[in-house]
Amino acid sequence: MKNVALTVNGRPLQVVADEKQAVLLDVVREDLGLTGTKQSCDRKGQCGTCMVLVDGKAVLSCITKVAALQGAEVTTIEGLGTPDRPHLIQQAFVLAGAVQCGFCIPGMIVTAKELLDANPSPTRAEIRRALRRNLCRCTGYVKIIDAIQLAGRFLRGEIAPADLMPSPDAPALGVSHPRPSAMAKACGTASFGADIRMPGALEIAVVRSPHAHATIRGIDTTAAEAMPGVVGVMTARDIRGTNRIKYTVADRPVLCDDRVRTLGDPVAIVAAATRDQALAAAEAVVVDYEPLPALLSPEAALADEAPQIHPDSPNLCYSQPIVKGDAASAFASAAAVVEGRFRTQINHQAPLEPEVSLAYIDGEGEDAELVIIGRSINIHLAMASLQAALGWEAIRYEEPFSGGQFGIKVEVITEGIAGAAALHFGRAVRYVPSIAESMLATSKRHPFDMGIRLAADADGRLTALGMDITVDNGAYMSLGIVILNRALHMLTSSYFVPNIDVASRLVYTNNPWGSAARGAGPPQTHYAVECAIDMLAEKMGIDPLEFRRRNSLKPGETKATGHVVQEWPFPGLCDAIRPRYEEARREAAAEAGDGVRRGVGLGAAAFGIAMPGDKSIAAVELDPDDGVTVYVAAADPGEGNDSMLSQLVAHVLDLPLDKIRLRTRSTADTTASGPASGSRVTYMIGGAAVDAAQQLRAAMDEVGARTHAAFVEAGRDTRYVGRRTTLETAPLDPTTGQGPSFEVQVFSVQMAEVEVDTATGAVKVVRLTSAADPGRVIHPLNVAGQLEGGMDMGAGFALREEYVAGKTRDWVTFKFPNIRHAIDMETIVVETPRELGTLGSVGIGEMAMVSTAPAIVNAIRDACGAMVYELPATPDRVKAALAAADARLVGSGT
Amino acid sequence: MAEPIRTRELRTVAGHQVWFDSEGFFWEPNDWSEEAAEELAHEGGIGSLDDVQWRVLRFLREYYQRNGRAPMNRELKAGTELSLVELERLFPEGIRMGARRLAGLPNPKTCLD
Repeated sequence: MKNVALTVNGRPLQVVADEKQAVLLDVVREDLGLTGTKQSCDRKGQCGTCMVLVDGKAVLSCITKVAALQGAEVTTIEGLGTPDRPHLIQQAFVLAGAVQCGFCIPGMIVTAKELLDANPSPTRAEIRRALRRNLCRCTGYVKIIDAIQLAGRFLRGEIAPADLMPSPDAPALGVSHPRPSAMAKACGTASFGADIRMPGALEIAVVRSPHAHATIRGIDTTAAEAMPGVVGVMTARDIRGTNRIKYTVADRPVLCDDRVRTLGDPVAIVAAATRDQALAAAEAVVVDYEPLPALLSPEAALADEAPQIHPDSPNLCYSQPIVKGDAASAFASAAAVVEGRFRTQINHQAPLEPEVSLAYIDGEGEDAELVIIGRSINIHLAMASLQAALGWEAIRYEEPFSGGQFGIKVEVITEGIAGAAALHFGRAVRYVPSIAESMLATSKRHPFDMGIRLAADADGRLTALGMDITVDNGAYMSLGIVILNRALHMLTSSYFVPNIDVASRLVYTNNPWGSAARGAGPPQTHYAVECAIDMLAEKMGIDPLEFRRRNSLKPGETKATGHVVQEWPFPGLCDAIRPRYEEARREAAAEAGDGVRRGVGLGAAAFGIAMPGDKSIAAVELDPDDGVTVYVAAADPGEGNDSMLSQLVAHVLDLPLDKIRLRTRSTADTTASGPASGSRVTYMIGGAAVDAAQQLRAAMDEVGARTHAAFVEAGRDTRYVGRRTTLETAPLDPTTGQGPSFEVQVFSVQMAEVEVDTATGAVKVVRLTSAADPGRVIHPLNVAGQLEGGMDMGAGFALREEYVAGKTRDWVTFKFPNIRHAIDMETIVVETPRELGTLGSVGIGEMAMVSTAPAIVNAIRDACGAMVYELPATPDRVKAALAAADARLVGSGT
Repeated sequence: MAEPIRTRELRTVAGHQVWFDSEGFFWEPNDWSEEAAEELAHEGGIGSLDDVQWRVLRFLREYYQRNGRAPMNRELKAGTELSLVELERLFPEGIRMGARRLAGLPNPKTCLD
């Protein structure tokens, strides 16, 4: 042990620390409660969220030993500035739109402080070098680099933050007003789940299955229960409810009872005084497994002798065809046909914040409520699912700030564990798993296997599409049906295809279970369809952009599911990107070389929003101080839903933004407005909020006043409930796949410019350009931020990322995109207000990555002639594709 | 071949075709009627709804119309002046599957189907 004197944010501190173990992160977070400093990577120094300044140098506090800090001056994010008195760098991050989920931002700002102190005018390359240890999943790093350059201008006195603040009379819509939550995140005062103090709470560890498929013959907890600090161990038999989490099918246990169905399935919960004690005791729980055949592919799961994974469902758990027109005849008479088989990988959504949930009992007797502080983006549904699973009706679900989600927080994960433990042990509990366990415990992006045929007539118009799609659902249903149906609804991208014959099937396996992941189905199918589009365009000698424009749907024509579209401004997007496309083509031709070849590729998308049957509800209330509170359950794990809601309502009511408050995080005071997913928040929840605000506005006009006092005097209600309901309800026909579809679309054309090293297969993405039409733009910086972050995620999906159960256990093995991978990006936004939109807006978040992978793969093919049929397009796969292309050339005699 | 799993079902209740979700909740609260509640109560073995049961159902509907969600248990108790034991006796399937379902309050939604 060593006695160390140091200062933290100017405060003298004396610490007696273990020389080998005690790290600065624990002093800062646990001892001092300075939770602006985060932790994501299991203390491996991989993420940079824990950065603090030590004597002016940015250090990773998770690997900095306290014993080495004698006399050191430590500064955390809280020491730089507060929301009332922010540092110029913090203001720059807010004003540049660099703050999305905000989990990485304190670490980014601390690192930027070191850089700017030494170099007030850094180039973008210098910023990239300085931030090489900091990870971000939301932004693609573009706006973070922008923010640091802006901070440099502030620090050099060239401009002041006030110069960039929208004026008080600026319009509510179409202006990048600072996000309501951004400054708290930039100053480290926004509490994420693990930041919440809960003195005396038990810490939880979970015993997880080492088998992908096995019967549980018995569980012996004796040794674990005798270990130091252990309060108890619970198993499935201690759960009083159904013990099944249900999203669409109740098939996933909170704790497995008779069988485990995938690696990492939860089997028992250990509660102890400290996390280390709980983890140690979890190791001592003895589970007697009888291994069963592990079905690790749809082929294995569909084999005749394969065991059934769930007792009440065959492994082939869902199928849905699409039959439109006469595809067989259209293929027979086509001028050109292309075909291929495309495969995508299991992938992790990779929010930077690890999983976390807390739970406690509030009240006694009949009034006792189980309070779960979790990470759901659908808190009312999570509450309902937990009520049944845990057998406890009185549940209040609350959501803290959330460090990214990208689909992973649609599902109940840690909440069930924490809730079950709080009920069983009758104590407050914290469940803060490692990032390795978080990866093991959560849902993943479904892998798709897709055979495709695509045909066109002599005029270059698409005539037929044939596909067989097999989706590996993994061990549990979650949203499997929804994901597959979404892919089918959006199957034909932006195009009119009159004849379609598609078979699709969803198969239970013992792989990680799939669920929502940004785009949720269409990113997988668009990879196949948009690559086939390029193959067909080349075969017919038509420029790929012209081919896409020529085949655009027109109002009055039908999508794959037979749904007639009313608005389809896709051709305008093709025109908008054309100048950049032609420039990129010229540059690629000029830079063509032997060893490194340059190519240009396109991908398009028409991303549907608001499924038939969707509905939302919102409330607004005129408060005694004449401000207005909006009540909706609208999680905001980074997209900017707080901006969207406050700016829409301020616009309708013609009130200043600081008069609008949001209540969005608790089932106790929000409306059950549905999930913050499916890119539906602006259209559905925002639409309901606008409806409520318009009712209040009408009442204000009738009363002739905008004050609470006047409403009371006039005997008028101060609270108004608004709704948004889609126009149609019916699901797809089970035999033809025809039926109503999404109510509106957001459109995109993305372009990738790449360089391929034909010797190594390495691909460098030189630039990505996204042209998008999301309808009327509410907040330009938020839209650009979504496009940039989406392209970055799409590039990771295309080139690097893959989740391999048991092997992917941290950010290095996941190949998390760092700032060295950051790609130069350009965004082109076309605003075509939609008739049905929320004041003309539709949404943007998921579409941003849907067409990135095909754009990159098409660019690789454009560069070197090699089509990569399986993602990610690693150097080995590119080399194999090159070899196959060469073999075809030899075979054809060219 | 597996039977398709559907999360919505079109049924005829009290002479009208109505969408229900997979747990038997009204998809659209405005499709609810007193006649439909009576029919569903018979279906669930409750028989005719009495005045106290109707007091609960009306409270639930009014609460939903104003708040856009179902009440917490403590709010339901205060609003109906009934204990949880009494409520569960009135609705043997429980507050959520019994009272809320008969009152036509929608289940919290998944996003899509």
